[in-house]
Amino acid sequence: MNVAKKLKIDTVLRPEVLVIGAGGAGLRCAAQICECRPGTSIIAVTKVYSPQKSHTSAAQGGMAAVDSKDPVDKIVYHMFDTWKGSDCSADQNIIKKVCESGWEQIVWLERHGMHFSRTEEGRIAKRPFGGHMLNFGRVKAFRACYEADRTGKGIMDTVWGESLKHGVVFLNQSVATELIFKNGRCIGAVVFVEQSGKFVAVLAKATIMATGGKARMYQVTSNCRQNTGDGLAMILQAGLPVMDLDAVQFHPTGIVGPGILASEALRGEGGILRNEDGERFMERYAPTAKDLAPRDLVSRCIMTEIREGRGCVHPDHKLPHVWLDLRHIPEHIHKTRIQEVSGFFRRFVGTDPQKELCPVTPTAHYQMGGAPTNEFGEVQDDARQIVPGLYACGEFAAASLHGYNRLGTNSLLELITMGKVVGDSVAAYIEDTKDPSAIPEDAGGRVFAQFAAYLEAQGKECYAEIRDALRVVMMEKVGVFRNEKGLTEAIEELKELKDRAGRMKLSSKSLVMNQELMQFWELDNLLDISMVIARCALARKESRGAHYREDYPERSPEFQHHTLACMTEYGKVELGKRPIDMSIYKAKGKHHKKFGIIERKY
Amino acid sequence: MPQEYDLTLKISRYDPDTRRSWIQDYHLKAGRILRFVDLFRKINDEQDPTLAWRSSCEHGQCGTCGMKINGKPLLTCELLVERAVGLFKTHTFNVEPLTAARVIRDLAVDLENAYERVHFVKPYIIARAATHPDGDEYRISPRTLDAYVEATRCINCFCCATACVTQRNYLGPNAVLANIVRLMDPRETAKEKRLDILYGEQGIPRCRTARACSFVCPKEIDIAHFIALAKEGAFRPEPSSTR
Repeated sequence: MNVAKKLKIDTVLRPEVLVIGAGGAGLRCAAQICECRPGTSIIAVTKVYSPQKSHTSAAQGGMAAVDSKDPVDKIVYHMFDTWKGSDCSADQNIIKKVCESGWEQIVWLERHGMHFSRTEEGRIAKRPFGGHMLNFGRVKAFRACYEADRTGKGIMDTVWGESLKHGVVFLNQSVATELIFKNGRCIGAVVFVEQSGKFVAVLAKATIMATGGKARMYQVTSNCRQNTGDGLAMILQAGLPVMDLDAVQFHPTGIVGPGILASEALRGEGGILRNEDGERFMERYAPTAKDLAPRDLVSRCIMTEIREGRGCVHPDHKLPHVWLDLRHIPEHIHKTRIQEVSGFFRRFVGTDPQKELCPVTPTAHYQMGGAPTNEFGEVQDDARQIVPGLYACGEFAAASLHGYNRLGTNSLLELITMGKVVGDSVAAYIEDTKDPSAIPEDAGGRVFAQFAAYLEAQGKECYAEIRDALRVVMMEKVGVFRNEKGLTEAIEELKELKDRAGRMKLSSKSLVMNQELMQFWELDNLLDISMVIARCALARKESRGAHYREDYPERSPEFQHHTLACMTEYGKVELGKRPIDMSIYKAKGKHHKKFGIIERKY
Repeated sequence: MPQEYDLTLKISRYDPDTRRSWIQDYHLKAGRILRFVDLFRKINDEQDPTLAWRSSCEHGQCGTCGMKINGKPLLTCELLVERAVGLFKTHTFNVEPLTAARVIRDLAVDLENAYERVHFVKPYIIARAATHPDGDEYRISPRTLDAYVEATRCINCFCCATACVTQRNYLGPNAVLANIVRLMDPRETAKEKRLDILYGEQGIPRCRTARACSFVCPKEIDIAHFIALAKEGAFRPEPSSTR
């Protein structure tokens, strides 16, 4: 029986709004729509089996936000830190919007039940975080609101609860596979429901994409198993551009194995990085700041040690790494201030950090780029015209709050502030928009062809080999260090991998909960996005924020713009530019000079 | 301590297309600190791509990869080979899906269905108390929060619901806990409604105080403690209170 021929749209659902990706941003947005416009029917699609499992839940640190009534901290300081941190490549209209509305959104979360940690007076507690300073970079600011070490979970539980309360309908364990357009307007998406193995068309007045990050193409990543760039690949397949995809943030100390973060706090408490010979190598690179140098610098130093043969290779996980030495830190600090993170080593690597060295290696953590949007979250095409009916928010979107480098705690802040903004936009948009009439005849055609190809493919290529080769080439050539030679080689290797991926044969042709089928689809998405990252990185002949070119180590005025990229066929990427918004600088306000092209120095 | 172990995983399989279920043995060599999720991936890569299992964050924060290993419900992303060998004193492991919901395929269960019980207790503030006159956040003292903050750490992995001795007509420990969080949360005013759920048909009268929930909780939450508070009536409004 030919399964491929049976692929069809099983059901058509017609909510008013479709949310693709039910994490922090998507559901904050859904909750906002319901508050503005009670009774709006919303369907939210999530790849995990309950929205509560979304990767937002894994975020630890906090959300930076300044109360305008704060006697010490000022919103303008937060705006400055974000601009400086971005290496002058964030959009100032977004910085202003997000920083100004941050506190209001913290209060919203608190009123809807988030369990923030408290001060003695019972108010929301705040703590300092890297890059957040008072008085334009003078002293550290207490600005991050948090829920112990599970701030992301607090946000997720709150927005998920609100969505339930408002009757949002969830399609769990489902993936959006193709956007549906009619006369240039986005009217929904074709969704594959894993559990039933059926395709469903969801037609809606407005579609919001919030599928999060995509770092699974890297050998070591803190991203969850589902972050395979499906949403971005779908945007590219619709002929729309993505922006600044080469801006991938690496955290220097990922724990070998799960790839999760061993927080800077460990080095803050005296942790020392050592190479295979036991040498404290950071002394050579940064004699003053040593192990506490900025994230991107420490990542590069670790990779240099590894590349020059002074790293170790982990016997079980087969990964190159260096050591983090915590053995000299007094027991009471292990037991109090770094208990949780040092516990991660015990739990996931079977290492006692009080007695043994801990294996760490740079880990791909966050995507600063994404689908380009304006300040209302409306997705733009390559000519910067908005695509009617299509919105984006969260890590998936590039508005862009982060430019080429993100400050800690600004990601969670972006989820809730931009989620709310997009909710307001959508609520207004659907008010005087008609329901999409009939489903276009060709809807699903592209994805059916894609799935049919998986089901029918013959060949001896092995999925795991291609996946691993992809992850190695991206880590080594499109990772912490980049140069023309490596990037050019990577592009060739990616083409070859894409070609090989077409010759993988499925073991089971079932559509129901077929993990291998999903992996084939994910691999294609990862390969697509990887190619765009490599192409953008090759074109940006400068170093800025998280993007470091060995052959062009300085920032260059020539690249003072965002990069838009469309992919017409595999490997053929068309690049465009989007100017960086400098509206705070141009407004000539009191502190406007701080928002010019400044040095990123700490 | 050996650097590599020879393991046998006896995995419960189920094929929804043919409705056949069976136990399949997989033999594999694994380094001492590989986790069980790594083993499943290794099986997919090297032996059998059709084996279905679920995970997401893979560091104990999301609660997707719960399974029964030699009968004990736990998160497989946290179980190192070395620790499993030490804990169960064997190199052979029975791997079964959680029993809190029906199986979809192999080790993947329909937790969406299990979540219905959490939805039933309304995991949000039903009706909120008057906000602070300054118009900003509520004032909640750290002491008040401390009394229930442990309960807010639950990730709904359903390990407790699988271990629970009451398997029928019961909301289960995690759903009960979600209700208790809001009973203890000063921002919630719909306490009567919550008490009705707590002591209702599917509520804690079904609990038989075996404390299995506390014993297996991967987050080490003492769930039984909160249920005990409920049983002794700690959440009933005090008679003297006028509010």
